[in-house]
Amino acid sequence: MMRYLLRRLSHALLLVFGVSILAFLFTTLAPGNYFDEMRLNPQIAPETLVALRAQYQLDRPLPLRYVYWLNSVLHGQMGFSFAYNSPVAPLLLVRAKNTLLLTITATFLAWLIALPLGIWSAERLGRFPDRLISGSTAVLLVIPDLALALCLLVLAVRTGWFPTGGMASVDYPSLSPLHKIRDLAFHMTLPVAALVLSALPLLVRHVRATVAEVLHAPFLLAAEGHGIPRGTLLIRYVLPAAANPLLSLFGFSIGALLSGSLLIEVVMSWPGLGPFLLEAILARDIYIVIGGVLFSTIFLAAGNFLADILLYWIDPRIRTESASR
Amino acid sequence: MEPILKVENLVKRYAKRNLVGAPQEFLALDSVSFALSAGTTLAIVGESGSGKSTLASCIACLETPTAGNLWFGGTNLAHATENDLRNIRPQIQLIFSDPASSLNPRWTILDIVVEPLVIQGKWSRNERMTRAFSLLERVGLSAEIAERPAAELSGGQRQRLAIARALTLEPKILILDEALSALDCSVQAQIANLLLELQSSLGMTFLFISHDFALAAHLADEIAVMSHGKIVEHGPTAKILRTPASEATRQLLAAVPQISRSPQPAAQR
Amino acid sequence: MIRRRNVRLWLLILGILHGIILCAGFFAPYDPIQQDRKNPYLPPMRVHFVDAGRHLHLRPFVYAVQLRPGSFDQYVEDTTQPRPLKFFASGDRYRLFGLFQSRFHLFGADNERIYLVGTDAFGRDQLSRLLFGGQASLLAGLLGAGLTLLIGWCIGAVAGYFGGWRDDVLMRLTELFLALPWLYLLFAIRAFLPLTVNPLHAFFLIVAVLAGVGWARPARLVRGIVLSAKERDFVRAARGFGASNFYLLRRHILPEASSVLLTQSAILIPQFVLAEMTLSFLGLGVPEPVPSWGNLLSNLQQYSVLVSYWWMYLPALAMVPFFLGYLGLASALQERSNAYKIERRSLGSLA
Repeated sequence: MMRYLLRRLSHALLLVFGVSILAFLFTTLAPGNYFDEMRLNPQIAPETLVALRAQYQLDRPLPLRYVYWLNSVLHGQMGFSFAYNSPVAPLLLVRAKNTLLLTITATFLAWLIALPLGIWSAERLGRFPDRLISGSTAVLLVIPDLALALCLLVLAVRTGWFPTGGMASVDYPSLSPLHKIRDLAFHMTLPVAALVLSALPLLVRHVRATVAEVLHAPFLLAAEGHGIPRGTLLIRYVLPAAANPLLSLFGFSIGALLSGSLLIEVVMSWPGLGPFLLEAILARDIYIVIGGVLFSTIFLAAGNFLADILLYWIDPRIRTESASR
Repeated sequence: MEPILKVENLVKRYAKRNLVGAPQEFLALDSVSFALSAGTTLAIVGESGSGKSTLASCIACLETPTAGNLWFGGTNLAHATENDLRNIRPQIQLIFSDPASSLNPRWTILDIVVEPLVIQGKWSRNERMTRAFSLLERVGLSAEIAERPAAELSGGQRQRLAIARALTLEPKILILDEALSALDCSVQAQIANLLLELQSSLGMTFLFISHDFALAAHLADEIAVMSHGKIVEHGPTAKILRTPASEATRQLLAAVPQISRSPQPAAQR
Repeated sequence: MIRRRNVRLWLLILGILHGIILCAGFFAPYDPIQQDRKNPYLPPMRVHFVDAGRHLHLRPFVYAVQLRPGSFDQYVEDTTQPRPLKFFASGDRYRLFGLFQSRFHLFGADNERIYLVGTDAFGRDQLSRLLFGGQASLLAGLLGAGLTLLIGWCIGAVAGYFGGWRDDVLMRLTELFLALPWLYLLFAIRAFLPLTVNPLHAFFLIVAVLAGVGWARPARLVRGIVLSAKERDFVRAARGFGASNFYLLRRHILPEASSVLLTQSAILIPQFVLAEMTLSFLGLGVPEPVPSWGNLLSNLQQYSVLVSYWWMYLPALAMVPFFLGYLGLASALQERSNAYKIERRSLGSLA
């Protein structure tokens, strides 16, 4: 077992490494840098610009810069931000926390709703409840998430039930702990709703398809014929058989925790990784961009790795396949 | 008489690549040798996994042997270049066991029969059509269904089509790799008789690979028995049937179902 | 067969929708860039058949609007100035398919202006901008998806057919690109290219970036198909007849992959259109004044616009019928290939 896991781990690490190189290449090979804006300002002397560039080592050759950056990563700093004048890592961490707050809640809720809905739909394949659910998911699928987010925003504005942006009200620091939680929840509702609504249709469809396939498998019909009660059937026969594709899907959900909410955060003004990255992109604050891409890739790789571990644990076919190697 | 095909110490190893760790090896053919005389039928019999199909692929030049020699018409197929092989392959044709997968189901029957001629590119369209129709007639498929997709044929008809296709380039050797195994008994008999008739009229050499001893005995002049990648016995059909020498042969013979007139209780045999 | 009819039905629907966008010049009453500074943020004009005097008119008409006295952005209808809708009216010059010059529009009102979907801050007709915006967004999606599938097919075919080190290298590259959070990568690549380029260059840049990010998934799919097709007996048989690699790829393997690629394109095109909309919405896509569905929505980021001018929201829903069409097409294609597989399997069992 350890050998399999070590193999997958080394795979994941190599991947993250490769992505860092790719991200570095893309961002630094692009024309323009942070100080281009300053060049337009006649008050700043060209020498100052040259000195600034030298200070941030933008004039060194590419491989050397990569090595410096790698060194910085190992020291936990992940490069330096021009705009904020601080190491990148702490900035990213703060924003990542906000994003994760949103996405973890949304992912949890989405799976909580999708699993029973999908199973229920699969059990009644072709009949009215299934058609209803399939119809609604089709409708949701067809509405772009941009439209969904804007729609919810308009709803908030018109009804005034939910705050229309940000993470906290102005008087947040002075609220009691209970009120603080309530305030946070209110601010979270819209973005979480948008995320859940956009993730739900695909999830439900996949769960439904997977479970439907298992439900019609011969081994399940045989088990039914043995008189095994439905609840036991579901938990001990259907779910393990459906686990493989569903766990991969779950791995993807985990992987998208940092990157899936970019648009919604920007639209709803949630101070997460998304708007932060966008701002950095527009200002050409490259180390933030590289750091952000790396962060999300790590999450993606970690999500896949987690799915691998869970699959190994649950699916005996993978165990025997790796043992026979 | 000079044999048309001479197999000398043929070895085939399969290696399985792993990401981490040493590659594992599987020995499919362990120094196989025999000679095939023109105009005869040699049956290669053995249980599953004995290496029969690998042998067939190597002789048909679809796989390269790891070691050994394969003499055909003065060329050593085991060491020939890809260009040489491309010219030689049409002369040794292979008929596969699964009639459903050896023919592209989306194509029409005519397209399938004509394909070898198209690939070789040496004939005009009319010449191709004439040859195709004559071959279809030869194997007992009527010309009216020629425009239908191959998916509509039954198993027996598909094997006939496969045989017709294999014959288009007038091969010297026809290898039948379990070609009759997927068919019903009665259909098997029909196709077997077709093969016998083709052999006597075209003077072809057959290599008949099967796990079915009864069928092999019906069709072949000589039988070679394979087990675990080696040939354990080789000789004329009648001799092998009467006096099987190796254990493997005896087991294969015993597996052939016998239909007797009077029902016998299973315990007595 | 029913299934073939389904596919054709969806193709027809999509064809009509795309046709409307293609002939945007005809369906739109005005030039999308033309401004009308005197009428910013006009709400959509209502179409009437009955006038203030309770008379029925056969020809639909709208009323001119004027500012409500005492307000600066509230408009009321001026019932003394009806503007009849003329069909096939002559209006602004435009180029149909970029080739023919024409002045015919579906409807218009001679020298008067009719705003069926309202105007934006510069007084530009939103209906025209909506229709022309579709051209940019849809074209970006179609071209991007086409390019992606082409790249994906080439890489997948090479990796699957030739195997060996080529397969290893290409597959590691594919995994790398699959691991990148594509939206982030999209933005990063796009934004690090020059921000102020002319609209045409920006457009092609976006298409190139979309293709550069999205090829990995189709590549992996194609590789799988090519790998399994390569081992099929009829391919081996064709090799036995002396076929070259090129022949095998062209005649046997490519057709197997094409049905999957078709389904993939029905899924990818709407995704790419959405990606373009997102890019333009955030200011990284098609620049002003060229309309695209994304940048039409970008001024919704201003609170005042979001609250007061509801018709500016409509471009968000413009994509919906297209999404629906593509979704339906993808399902129908999927059903058709499944049905085909089942047929093959059942026929194969007949001895």
